[in-house]
Amino acid sequence: MITGQAIFIGFFGLATVWFGIVVFRTFSMVRSAIALLFSQTALGAMFLTMQAEFLGVLQIMMMATEMSVMAIFMVMFMMDPGGMGEMDMSHQKRLSLIAGFVSFVGAVAVAVFIDWGPVTITVVDTAKQTEALGLELLGRSMLIFETAGITILTAMIAATAVAIKPVPLTVNNSTTGDLPVGDFPVDSLPTNSLPAQKEDKAK
Amino acid sequence: MTTLLMILVLAIGVYLLAVLEHWISNGRFQFSAPAYSAIALLGRESVVPRKPDLLFFEVGPVLLLITALLAAAVIPLSPDLIITDLATGALFLNAALAYILVALIMAGWGPNGAYAMIGGWRFLGQLVAYAMLVVMPITAVAMRAESLMTTDIVISQAGLWNIFYQPLGFILFFIAAMGLAFLPPFDLPTAEGEIAGGVEAEYSGVRLAIFRLGRLVLIITLAGATVTFYLGGWNGPWLPPWMWSAIKILGVAAVMLLIGRYVPRIREAHLLAWCWKAGIPLALLNIFIVGVLLVEYP
Repeated sequence: MITGQAIFIGFFGLATVWFGIVVFRTFSMVRSAIALLFSQTALGAMFLTMQAEFLGVLQIMMMATEMSVMAIFMVMFMMDPGGMGEMDMSHQKRLSLIAGFVSFVGAVAVAVFIDWGPVTITVVDTAKQTEALGLELLGRSMLIFETAGITILTAMIAATAVAIKPVPLTVNNSTTGDLPVGDFPVDSLPTNSLPAQKEDKAK
Repeated sequence: MTTLLMILVLAIGVYLLAVLEHWISNGRFQFSAPAYSAIALLGRESVVPRKPDLLFFEVGPVLLLITALLAAAVIPLSPDLIITDLATGALFLNAALAYILVALIMAGWGPNGAYAMIGGWRFLGQLVAYAMLVVMPITAVAMRAESLMTTDIVISQAGLWNIFYQPLGFILFFIAAMGLAFLPPFDLPTAEGEIAGGVEAEYSGVRLAIFRLGRLVLIITLAGATVTFYLGGWNGPWLPPWMWSAIKILGVAAVMLLIGRYVPRIREAHLLAWCWKAGIPLALLNIFIVGVLLVEYP
């Protein structure tokens, strides 16, 4: 029997796939990132349709920020972020095709062959769902989630450390705590940290 | 029916807010000013810049308006006057408001203009600053109400409003809300003196009218959220509940606009530094204090 719920799940499912395809069909990095965002948003809407309200809202919320941050990174690193030069940035096409096909078959196999257990007929109240999720996160699954959290934090600190321009600790022969960070005129650096300038002076 | 009524109330609220904005910025009270501005905007040509990302250009302002309206759906004006009383209301508000960023990035990227693009990306930086200060104070509010439902949150404040129970959270949330609504002094994405209007720079005519309307709805929504989370929502003596909500929301919005009049625009780097070095530790402290209060005086 096709219910309204099934129709909406199908609709949002198709939207998820369609926006996923758009990600690869556009030359613009920002369009690509925003398409991925809307793909994930449609996935969140699928959760909502399946009455997993908390998960759905959380998915919709988290993705907005994450994909926007991804967009600016793509703009920063890509040669043609607007796609106006129509530069082809795809590569290893055969490998990607094979990898994509294998993953697709794998996903379908998982969906079809796994024993999902009995289908839940009645959905528990949303507040109860949220409570159960909280108990799960602070009980059985605590270690997994805390490990994931610490890993992400470590990655963030590492990425920041890599991105910061190294600043020598001594400026003008004095050790000061408040050094300029980020963009500052080259002149403010001690001369001995700039080999090129040093050579100039040697001349 | 409730939805229609709420949209009507929102429309009236937005008009009153526009009058207030005009009054505060020009120093003259003129009830018809927003109507004249709207007619002027709608009468002008809506220019499309050269080589735009047309999809983003068109969607940006509309998405801003839709997002602000969606967020308003969980704000209760009285026990019955709410569009949808979701069990995850407080979280839903955050989810909807996260798309303000997406709207501004789209509106910034779309017109293919330098100032607009800088404005859009500036707001991303601004989000990194304020996002935690929206979520963490709400956590403390939800802790007290033991629910994410906005109506439950209002009911939990019947005895003592959250502004007195967790003043630290209120201050942080209020600042973050102003940042979210990119109101001065946090108007970095639309800074007039620096980037010539930023995200707004390339918009004109009807598209600019939609953008401004979305911004006004956003301010009303955020004032509504502040009232719901900290100022006791519809609670108050003598007057009917909806009137209390209306008075409080307009009051909060007026304070938000007034502050911007007297405070100079903040620098992006300062905003980030202060929010992360002072704001987030204070927000954690607020959660801790509320936790202790809840255990000691349930």
